[in-house]
Amino acid sequence: MDFLDIYLNLFTVSLVQGAIFAFPALAVMIPFRMLGLPDLTSEGAFPFGAAIAATFTVAGFGPVLSLSAAVLFGFVVGAATALIHLYLRVPSLLAGIIVLTMLFSINIRVMGKPNTALFDNDSIFTLALDADGGEPLTQFALILALVLVFLAVFYWFLNTELGMALRCVGANQAMSRAQGIPTHYYIVAGIAMAGGFSAFGGAVMAQHQAYADVNMGVGVLIVGLAATILGETLVGRSTLIRQLVAPVVGSLAYFQVVAVALALGLKPSDLKLLTGLFVLTTLSIPIVLQARLPVRTGSRSRR
Amino acid sequence: MSVRVHGASKVFSPGTPNEKTALKQVDFALEDGEFAVVIGSNGAGKSTLLNALAGEVPIDSGEILIDGRDVGSEPVYKRARLISRVFQDPMLGTAPELSIEENLAVAARRGRRKTFRLGLNRRNREYFRERISILGLGLESRLSEKVRSLSGGQRQSLTLIMAALLAPRLMLLDEHTSALDPRAAELVLKLTSDVVTGEAITTLMVTHNMQHALRFGSRLFMMHEGGIVLDAAAEEKSGLTVNDLVGRFHVTDDKMLLG
Ligand SMILES: Nc1ncnc2c1ncn2[C@@H]1O[C@H](COP(=O)(O)OP(=O)(O)O)[C@@H](O)[C@H]1O
Ligand SMILES: [Mg+2]
Repeated sequence: MDFLDIYLNLFTVSLVQGAIFAFPALAVMIPFRMLGLPDLTSEGAFPFGAAIAATFTVAGFGPVLSLSAAVLFGFVVGAATALIHLYLRVPSLLAGIIVLTMLFSINIRVMGKPNTALFDNDSIFTLALDADGGEPLTQFALILALVLVFLAVFYWFLNTELGMALRCVGANQAMSRAQGIPTHYYIVAGIAMAGGFSAFGGAVMAQHQAYADVNMGVGVLIVGLAATILGETLVGRSTLIRQLVAPVVGSLAYFQVVAVALALGLKPSDLKLLTGLFVLTTLSIPIVLQARLPVRTGSRSRR
Repeated sequence: MSVRVHGASKVFSPGTPNEKTALKQVDFALEDGEFAVVIGSNGAGKSTLLNALAGEVPIDSGEILIDGRDVGSEPVYKRARLISRVFQDPMLGTAPELSIEENLAVAARRGRRKTFRLGLNRRNREYFRERISILGLGLESRLSEKVRSLSGGQRQSLTLIMAALLAPRLMLLDEHTSALDPRAAELVLKLTSDVVTGEAITTLMVTHNMQHALRFGSRLFMMHEGGIVLDAAAEEKSGLTVNDLVGRFHVTDDKMLLG
């Protein structure tokens, strides 16, 4: 009874969270799955998007321009990671860590302080819904609509000549070069897009909670990864549409699971541990399954 | 003259104990539409020659001219406008995550500027269907399937169709049938011969199989230690036997004999 009460209380709020985190989840999926290049930038791009949007909002640019600015600056940090990786030959994971570390300082510079309150400013929620930002369910509908618009545009793009070349680079770089595709440009563009997605998510989050904070990004990456993996288990990745929808479904499902965990009495501070364990379990399933068979016959023991 | 290579040389790891001369003053020219087969023992420099032509390996000195233009300093993706390739490994020539028709669409814009137009439309699908049906493998009814699901032979056939889609000025085939089972190899070779001669594509084909070397092509190069030691034009080539090749060049590499 207690459990149900708490869960129902959390249900709509978790829907909103799930919809917002669909953006960084997409930002994790794009490099990981479409470019075959693991990237951590989204952890830094998320609070960066929030900081940019907050600063633009405070400066009076209005919620829509602030969101657009966040996307643009998200592109820039994504591109920065890719350029560091490609031209300074830094492994992509390390490049992402370097960028997200630097972004912490940059975020404070951008906002002039570690956080910015936006309680007196308009947001897309006050603009589209009502003056106090709307109910969770209508907020959810608004964010989901944004997610779907982004997905539709991205899906269209991936089917253009340019987008097909991008996917080709992700699937086979040597072949792409042989087909006349300058692979570096496409990798930069792909990671930049991921940065834009994550920054947009952070900006929406800032507008939703009317608050931007440098520490908003902590754990975004692992949540995005968990959402992607969970989504792929639920809808698969056999087609392009499924691959694109998976992080969204996964993010929505992930936050419902979180709500259940909280309703069962777990503390919010336990969640990172659980998420980590979940990702670890999912990643290790194929290895554990594989290890079982060849251990006796394989050459591993002899080596 | 569509392809001219002049004094091309390549040394790997110069000045180190691992120094390897892969190309030594290689000179040759191919007429438009000429189909040359390249043989030679392991390490003779065949792959390096093809990589140099494609731009994967920069040469130390010499010139590579295509239609009279020196392409020696252009990166791979720029030369792709003129050159198409089929690799030895069937996995290398296609994008497994893309569908058959998407792979064809990428190849249909080899070396061209990409735009925001949709990569696939009714017209080019129809064209791809027609081209792929030449294979007689039934792939025309599986156009939207991912290439991941194709066998090595099917992939290599698809790669060949892709390589010929935008008639290249030069086609490079590096032992492109050696990873296939004999039946698939035979099929891909016949297709190669049909496509290359049918569309008069200037071609360099490396093979380890002496019978194939004698059966296909209008010219034969034998490489040894980085140089071309035999250049047999059509007439001379048609008079050669496997024993000639082995006898004249003391090649005792089993792999070459057995193919
Ligand atoms: N990337 C490379 N680095 C160092 N040495 C190489 C490289 N590629 C080829 N070689 C050397 O160059 C020589 C020619 O190799 P290759 O062109 O692959 O011969 P083939 O294709 O005729 O068997 C060999 O001695 C080989 O070891
Ligand atoms: Mg070779």
